[in-house]
Amino acid sequence: MQGTEDSPAPPGAQGPAEEPEQRDGAPPEPPAQQRVKEEEEREGPEEEGGSEGPREPPPPAAAEPLAEPQPPQPASGRESPEQAEPQAAPEPEPEEAEPEPEPPAEPCEPREDGEAAPAEPEDELSFSDPEGFVDDISDEGAGGGRRRLRGAAPRGAAPARPGSRLLFILFCFLFAELLGDVLKDQPQEADGIDSVIVVDNVPQVGPDRLEKLKNVIHKIFSKFGKIINEFYPEADGKTKGYIFLEYMSPSHAVDAVKNADGYKLDKQHTFRVNLFTDFDKQASTCQGNLRYWLEDPDCRDQYSVIFESGDRTSIFWNDIKEPVQIEDRARWTETYVRWSPKGTYLATFHQRGIALWGGEKFKQIQRFSHQGVQLIDFSPCERYLVTFSPLMDTQDDPQAIIIWDILTGQKKRGFHCENSAHWPIFKWSHDGKFFARMTSDTLSIYETPSMGLLDKKSLKITGIRDFSWSPGGNIIAFWVPEDKDIPARVTLMQLPARQEIRVRNLFNVVDCKLHWQKNGDYLCVKVDRTPKGTQGVVTNFEIFRMREKQVPVDVVEMKESIIAFAWEPNGSKFAVLHGETPRISVSFYHVKNNGKIELIKTFDKQQANTIFWSPQGQFVVLAGLRSMNGALAFVDTSDCTMMNIAEHYTASDVEWDPTGRYIVTSVSWWSHKVDNAYWLWTFQGRLLQKNNKDRFCQLLWRPRPATLLSEDQIKQIKKDLKKYSKIFEQKDRLSQSKASKELVERRRTMMEEFRKYRKMAQELYMEQRNERLELRGGVDTDELDSNVDDWEEETVEFFINEEIITLAEPE
Amino acid sequence: MFSTDKQMGYQCFVSFFDLRDSSQIENNEPYMKIPCSDSKITSAVWGPLGEFIIAGHENGELNQFSAKSGEQLSNIKEHTKQINDIQTSRDMTMFITASKDNTAKLFDCTTLEHLKTFRTERPVNSAALSPIFDHVVLGGGQEAMDVTTTSTRIGKFEARFFHLAFEEEFGRVKGHFGPINSVAFHPDGKSYSSGGEDGYVRIHYFDPQYFEFEFEA
Repeated sequence: MQGTEDSPAPPGAQGPAEEPEQRDGAPPEPPAQQRVKEEEEREGPEEEGGSEGPREPPPPAAAEPLAEPQPPQPASGRESPEQAEPQAAPEPEPEEAEPEPEPPAEPCEPREDGEAAPAEPEDELSFSDPEGFVDDISDEGAGGGRRRLRGAAPRGAAPARPGSRLLFILFCFLFAELLGDVLKDQPQEADGIDSVIVVDNVPQVGPDRLEKLKNVIHKIFSKFGKIINEFYPEADGKTKGYIFLEYMSPSHAVDAVKNADGYKLDKQHTFRVNLFTDFDKQASTCQGNLRYWLEDPDCRDQYSVIFESGDRTSIFWNDIKEPVQIEDRARWTETYVRWSPKGTYLATFHQRGIALWGGEKFKQIQRFSHQGVQLIDFSPCERYLVTFSPLMDTQDDPQAIIIWDILTGQKKRGFHCENSAHWPIFKWSHDGKFFARMTSDTLSIYETPSMGLLDKKSLKITGIRDFSWSPGGNIIAFWVPEDKDIPARVTLMQLPARQEIRVRNLFNVVDCKLHWQKNGDYLCVKVDRTPKGTQGVVTNFEIFRMREKQVPVDVVEMKESIIAFAWEPNGSKFAVLHGETPRISVSFYHVKNNGKIELIKTFDKQQANTIFWSPQGQFVVLAGLRSMNGALAFVDTSDCTMMNIAEHYTASDVEWDPTGRYIVTSVSWWSHKVDNAYWLWTFQGRLLQKNNKDRFCQLLWRPRPATLLSEDQIKQIKKDLKKYSKIFEQKDRLSQSKASKELVERRRTMMEEFRKYRKMAQELYMEQRNERLELRGGVDTDELDSNVDDWEEETVEFFINEEIITLAEPE
Repeated sequence: MFSTDKQMGYQCFVSFFDLRDSSQIENNEPYMKIPCSDSKITSAVWGPLGEFIIAGHENGELNQFSAKSGEQLSNIKEHTKQINDIQTSRDMTMFITASKDNTAKLFDCTTLEHLKTFRTERPVNSAALSPIFDHVVLGGGQEAMDVTTTSTRIGKFEARFFHLAFEEEFGRVKGHFGPINSVAFHPDGKSYSSGGEDGYVRIHYFDPQYFEFEFEA
């Protein structure tokens, strides 16, 4: 149950109401289970603290259900009223459950026991005792219960199993309620588990209205049997929107699930009722480890390849020797594919919608039905999916753009959209908490999970031309052009406070482009200007240093035309391609701490039109794609050396792998009809593989989630690099010598087989010798010089005419 | 033996003439005609001892036809596109096909057993077996009709050398500026020639290194 806030695994979240079969107690939508090995360092970043027992941080907005008394988000201007969609079931989050229900003597102790133990799935069965629950508070020892609980905890609370962990925590609650101070007797703790139901979408109330809520709940749920126990988790003085109820017998619980699931309490609250045991079932049946690919012992990366003009899609492990195929499917997608930002899902496009695939076997995980879908965008946190279709938009039911909850498959909200030219229409903040859209003179910022307008109103920004979120914080940058006497303006705004943290006025502006550095440390605004009294366009790079007070700005001016600009990810350098063909230069600049921007180096006469920084920074590939015939220059910017100059003729695409170790250049069938292939290079520009694929279309590396290593750990690793590199070198050598050995071996067997065949053929040939001689009238044609006697020597003579021309004698 | 092309208004026939009876040629009366209505023959050679012919078809099929009865002795389909050329080894025990499907393949003459495959990125128009080494040369390139818009670099009008047993390429000779239509080894194996759509016949003598070169095995 690690990091439920961000990780796509809320066990409580379940399918939308349009799946009625779930009401029969069938397991609800299986949640994406995140079985992440705790000790694996490069696993998902969200599980931090997943193993640290109860945590106190307030639940992030994403996990919070709609506040009860709030009316639905008012419709803003152009959007049609939002349907009061019941919030996806909030998850019973064990981490957030406070330990107070724990017996006061030794709070949380069982949990601690549990943490260290490994998961043992088969032991879970012991929890659910099939016999009906007997109210046994009095006769058995609670202390023994604690004892047993401790014994059980290692199994139940194993961190790798969300379901069982949840189960364990519920025990804590139940016991606390049941036992109170009576800690001496031993109850049969597992008995009640089948009789417990979980009710989601319960109004969130403060203590003042809790009693009332309890009455209402009681009224509804005691219809199905006697409720012997109830628990209302609370946070910040309010209930959390989900409750646990325990009946006398499991049959009552089943009844309740059957009848009360989908019960409409009021407009905003439709109950989702599930057997508690179903959550456990789900946990063990769903897609398996969605991040299994990060556990590859050789730390290889995966990539998807579309070929045969789109009819076939394959997934490969990138291996130095040759790609290792994992999956290969015909017509997996109708157009192209996309990976989600952290690599968890592979999205395929179909006429009827989008499908998400994942897990070890690339099973289908979710479907989003959107006729004629053309474009999609994931939120950076992988919780939401935005889809666009040009079909079927009606005035009162907006569905040109739909935002979906990835885990539940639920439609969160629809939007109108007239023009998809500037996809993505909605830009997400780095944490997925906000998303924004620009329309004429308006910037609308929405918040998740409500999908409503932030503060219920849009920002009125007259003339806004472009905006962009910082990838390192909830800051939005936007610019407006000049309007008569008012200068053009670049504004940085902090959200959700809407506080302008920096405004920069600019003059004689033709156009601006916003370039964020990947960490959000810097913002470069590329400003094309026509200063008074000069001819032509001058480009200014306005560099905002975001991490410093007041956000100081420095300027680099360039008179030449700019072809491309790119920040070094995780660094403070940037590269600019400038000049006119054929005299193109690349310049590398460094933004120093004191704000001075230093030109490090300029290379002249480059064949390039695109800059590709390694995702780790430092290394960069300059590529002359398409019209420039695929020239490639590999540069190390630490000392600005040209490591290699190469070429992949007619290359159309360049893709770095997520670790910055390899780079792929490719000729896509979409842009060029012959020589469709992808080539694998090292970051230094050494060609490793040429992979020709029939009508190859597209290669996409599977992204990796951010590292879990702390700065210090990374530093330590860098320090110990020598130690590691020795190990790796040895490994490489071994595999290399093995490879060459294998090659020689293969050749040898091939040669042997071939020789065997030749020997047979020769024998046959010799057998046929007499026949052949007969056919050819006794002339042996087997050897070139076998009939020397028959050779005739012929001498051919011919005359050369001789003509003498006398040149005029000199006088 | 020759075959007609159905494009010229005739159905595709393989016609067999016996040269000992000169009237067959004079009166154009072959002693046997085999109709090939399905897929026309694009290349054919005589098998060893003249008992049958091996014919390559437009759809990539290979057939053995008896030269006596005309019956189809065996049939295989290893190529997906037209077979442009068939050449036998000097002892006529094996033959190599060159196909539009970008590959050349080696077969046994008698059994039609598929032995080896040589892959390229362009249609192969011709392939020849070295009489002295386990080498094969492939000639081809982008089809002439597509060439006008592309440069020679994209066309890949190169003669390519492969090792017969390992199926690995070990050399390339550039020079033509149109697709190579035909390649042949000199009977002594010390040179080869190629004829291209560009109108040139190029004769290449091998460097001494060629004779010393050996694969590590």
